[in-house]
Amino acid sequence: MMRQYFEDLIAGIELKLNTDPESHSPRKLYALEIARLGQRLYSDNERVAWCGVAAPFDLLSAMGVTSCFVEFIGAMLAGTGTADTFLEAAEQEGFAGDTCGYHRSVIGAAKNGMMPIPDFLIATSCPCSGGLAVMENLAHYFEKDLFVLDVPQQATKESVRYLADQIKAMVAFVANHTGEQLNEDRLQEAIAHTNQARLHMIEAYRLAQQVPSPANGRDLVNFGIAMALLLGTQAAVDVSRAYREEFAARCRAEISGVPGEQLRLMWIQNRIQFKNDVVKLLETQFKAAIVVDELNSIPWEAIDPRDPYTGMALRTISIPLNGSVQRRVEHLQSLAKAYRVDGAINPCHWGCRQGTGARGMIAEGLKAIGVPVLNLEVDCVDSRNFGEGQVKTRLEAFSEMLAGRL
Amino acid sequence: MTFAHHGYIGFACSYVPLAVIDAAGYVPWRVLPMSECPDQAGQLLHDNLCPHVKRIIDRVLADDLPQLEGMVFINSCDAMRRMADAWQQIRPSDKTIMLDLPSTQEPASLAYFAQEVRRLAQTLADWGDRPLSVNAIRESTRRYNALGRLLMQANERLRDGTLEGGSARMQALYNQASTEPVEASIDRMQAILASPATTRQADPGVPVFLFGNVLPDPEVFTLFEDCGAFIAGDDFCTGSRLFTENAREVADDPWQFLAEELLLHPPCARTFDPARPGQIARDVLQKAQACRAQGVIGYTLKFCDPYLARLPLVRAAMKAANLPVLLLEGDCTLRSIGQQRTRIEAFIEMLRESK
Repeated sequence: MMRQYFEDLIAGIELKLNTDPESHSPRKLYALEIARLGQRLYSDNERVAWCGVAAPFDLLSAMGVTSCFVEFIGAMLAGTGTADTFLEAAEQEGFAGDTCGYHRSVIGAAKNGMMPIPDFLIATSCPCSGGLAVMENLAHYFEKDLFVLDVPQQATKESVRYLADQIKAMVAFVANHTGEQLNEDRLQEAIAHTNQARLHMIEAYRLAQQVPSPANGRDLVNFGIAMALLLGTQAAVDVSRAYREEFAARCRAEISGVPGEQLRLMWIQNRIQFKNDVVKLLETQFKAAIVVDELNSIPWEAIDPRDPYTGMALRTISIPLNGSVQRRVEHLQSLAKAYRVDGAINPCHWGCRQGTGARGMIAEGLKAIGVPVLNLEVDCVDSRNFGEGQVKTRLEAFSEMLAGRL
Repeated sequence: MTFAHHGYIGFACSYVPLAVIDAAGYVPWRVLPMSECPDQAGQLLHDNLCPHVKRIIDRVLADDLPQLEGMVFINSCDAMRRMADAWQQIRPSDKTIMLDLPSTQEPASLAYFAQEVRRLAQTLADWGDRPLSVNAIRESTRRYNALGRLLMQANERLRDGTLEGGSARMQALYNQASTEPVEASIDRMQAILASPATTRQADPGVPVFLFGNVLPDPEVFTLFEDCGAFIAGDDFCTGSRLFTENAREVADDPWQFLAEELLLHPPCARTFDPARPGQIARDVLQKAQACRAQGVIGYTLKFCDPYLARLPLVRAAMKAANLPVLLLEGDCTLRSIGQQRTRIEAFIEMLRESK
């Protein structure tokens, strides 16, 4: 089913691009590359690794491994409206309903044969305990070898070295399973792609900060987190450059992502993955643009090709969901200021102790710089308990309050 | 008898190296989630976060703590990280340290954690402006190992059905040992063990193995016994996992020694061996069989991801071994588990009838 889905998606996008050149957009290119990744994962003829969110995907790519964090599958299932079946399957196996919907749906998908059997698994202790646990469960279920990257909370000389050494050990683990050593030329090529993509993304994000923003609420959905999967490849360079050029062109032409932009919003953590009208409501009713998502940023420096493992370790430790809430709040505050947002929306993904656990402190931190936060109660993957009417009412009240402050 | 010390250092996780705190001249004081203070943690933390952590934050908000000279946090799970964040927001002037705890027990993890233990020692020395010698660490480790040995002996009496006060008293002893000077606990335990054991009841109850994470309330153990259970063995971070006996002497490298002692002790679900996924289920089964339990009761806190994600594996392993299992969730209060009394009674009754 998933393989067919990705193949159909690729065929549909390619047909559209070939028959209607006017339809070219960075979002389509991005969707196409993500679909191609999905197709490779389900193709049965690639080396596949299921991973944690913070794995070094460019390094794995350089080693000829098609890799992906498992939460991607949860998001895909939700996006196609099929997650509920797998959520129920996991719950029937005894996985508690108040755990993360991404992880429950992945467990259900694995048990129903909806996840390709990997060659091995690479878990990461960041961002969350639940993510690490689901990787252990999958390794047990698939009876495949598991490697764990233990991500320290802070970047100190010792902690960076600890993680860098683990990444080196991961290379040996992967080579043992693929039978192929890491090729230095391929590694250098992957790092070059990563660094090029990084620069394009930084510039695209800088352009999105303009008032009015060239970005609308759909352009960069899941972008920062999913782009990590493409790092190290030419596709990452192409997609990020396409965004940069498109946003630059919109800025030159003074085209606003949301025509008549009145409110600028920040979305905290992940978007709601199943079909919903939240963005449409915000844009049409309140001219409110989601100009930035928390995870759409580049907090890491370029990878030094002479010392790639240290660079990758620093990159992993730097992600906003790692470390203390104070650090995360500072990151959110800097985004809020850079993008000049009027307010922020936190879906408070149900079951996410890591991200949602600290919602009170996040709201306080943003309030301290004059940015109100709307805390919702949504499971971003599980639509079964989605109170659409209630969410709409709260969004309306929040937007009206923000409009009243202008 | 009073014991000289320089004050209390708070902690809330069984992976904290108590001997280092003791060696630095402080008393490790476990902030237990037991209090009558009002529920206020929701101001800072989401409602679906670990009740252990929320209860501790309730205590912090209500200032229901002794004078603490500092607080040691452990990066053991998402909830513990959020507890550290909330604590620091409420009491920004507190001296605190967060230790990075690896998820696995591999050599590199042990070496890194040894560095973290050393960092704790240096931090405590700085806080107290007193040097901390390796000899002091060695002596403190000996004391804690002696305490672990005494608690284990008391535990043996308990399993034999001859500890006065039963499992509730044993839990009270664990709680005392985690909140008072180690010498005081050693004295108490020696006195208890010097007194004659009580006579074993003819029918102590149906032997069960109890496992989970945080269960510090002695009355909960009484409740299990009132339901007809005889707790033949248990494994909790507020009990036997906190005080283990280690017969080894401190090696030349005390940091590595302590790191191994902690990371290799019976693990919480958050620590696992990647080479043996699902090992927790086999461990529970092995412990249950070792104490000849007729059934297994798992008690875990609501919203505890490390345990919730692994319980299906535990359930499957028990089923395969034909060992009945009852899984309970609670929020650290007697009330929450009291509501499940009927389930516990029915489970024990079922075990009794299938004997």
